[in-house]
Amino acid sequence: MIPAYPLGLLVAFASAGIAFFALMRETDGLHRLLLTDLIEVVTLAFIALVGTDLAEALILPGLVVGASELIALSEIYRIKEGYTRPPADSLQIEVMESAPAILAAILVVYGIVLSGFSGGAVAGLGVIFYFLCRDHNERFELIETASGYSWVLWIIAFFVFMIFPEYWFFAVMLAGSAILVKVMAKMSLIGTMRGGPNA
Amino acid sequence: MPDIGGIDLFVLEFGDILHYYTPYTTTLFLLALIFTALAIVSRPEGQIDIAFGGDAYYAKETTLPEMRFRRFMAIACGLATMGAMGSGDLFNFTLFASLVGITNVGIVAAVKNRHVLNAAYEYGIVAMVATLPLFGGAALILATTGTLSIPALAAGGFAVPFVGKALLVLGVIGEGMAPFYAAKAEMFRAPGAPYVIMCSLSSLLIFLRVVEIAITI
Repeated sequence: MIPAYPLGLLVAFASAGIAFFALMRETDGLHRLLLTDLIEVVTLAFIALVGTDLAEALILPGLVVGASELIALSEIYRIKEGYTRPPADSLQIEVMESAPAILAAILVVYGIVLSGFSGGAVAGLGVIFYFLCRDHNERFELIETASGYSWVLWIIAFFVFMIFPEYWFFAVMLAGSAILVKVMAKMSLIGTMRGGPNA
Repeated sequence: MPDIGGIDLFVLEFGDILHYYTPYTTTLFLLALIFTALAIVSRPEGQIDIAFGGDAYYAKETTLPEMRFRRFMAIACGLATMGAMGSGDLFNFTLFASLVGITNVGIVAAVKNRHVLNAAYEYGIVAMVATLPLFGGAALILATTGTLSIPALAAGGFAVPFVGKALLVLGVIGEGMAPFYAAKAEMFRAPGAPYVIMCSLSSLLIFLRVVEIAITI
């Protein structure tokens, strides 16, 4: 029997080789940016191959670093090439007028029931959908402030874990609800990314 | 294992993750601290280009919002470098190293100069690709030894694979040491002297630290 880890490593190294080869051949700036994302995925695969709880915890910062580099580079590419005109409103679909409120409400309620990180992701998806379909002239400072304060609460919960371990249940509840709000608020901002005054 | 860092001067523990400072890393840390302080207090240079074959010259001015953004990025770069100097956890170190890469792009990103932006874009792609060996090396070491703690690995008893160390060093080299420094050199056309120094200094310090890590573990 072939052990799983070396086999996985082999596949990951092969994928990395393919990605590097593609990056070497490609000359168009935007396509190269997209190809670096391919390499990021292989990077996450390297971490995921370890297959422990710790690896699971390490994937998230790895993903965040990759995503932030991608966003920074896309912004530089946009300025470098002089793309400054915001995209025009083009989608006129009837479903996007009527469905958002119901779907967003269902997703947000289900997200609150789930709570924690996955709950935040589900609820955030609902809010993204809502903002994508409807007007997005909202008070963004409010969303950002809520996100910031809930992040602070999350950190406080971690300090409770470390300093007063006997109050772990309180800390779990605090961390669960704070991360719900934080992830939801952060994700909802994605739904508003389409240029314009708030971008 | 050879211990080139010297005795521990200060250890800050968060469970099994810790920050520690040896005379070697303290020196690097102080260097990063001094240059961050310089970036905070100093004003940007006024670069002057002389037109060839005449008396005319162009004076480049850095606007206030641009200066603020670049100063912020330079400080963030200094903080990331300082974090990498003291970190006792391999994965935290790799995160700090990639953060240095992002902030290096950020320092010159506000400059509206086509050459500088092109160079920053190319450097950013190299830095992004370099996260593969960086995280790959850390993950390989975690998989074979079961720990990421640098002091635990340095204490011996673990067979740290050479490939893991090599990937780690390769990743840091990709963040801005020779030969990949070529991608970065053009970025220094950007006016605003005290801030671009952080680009160069941070990769140097990160490299010195990864050499220490690779020899110690």
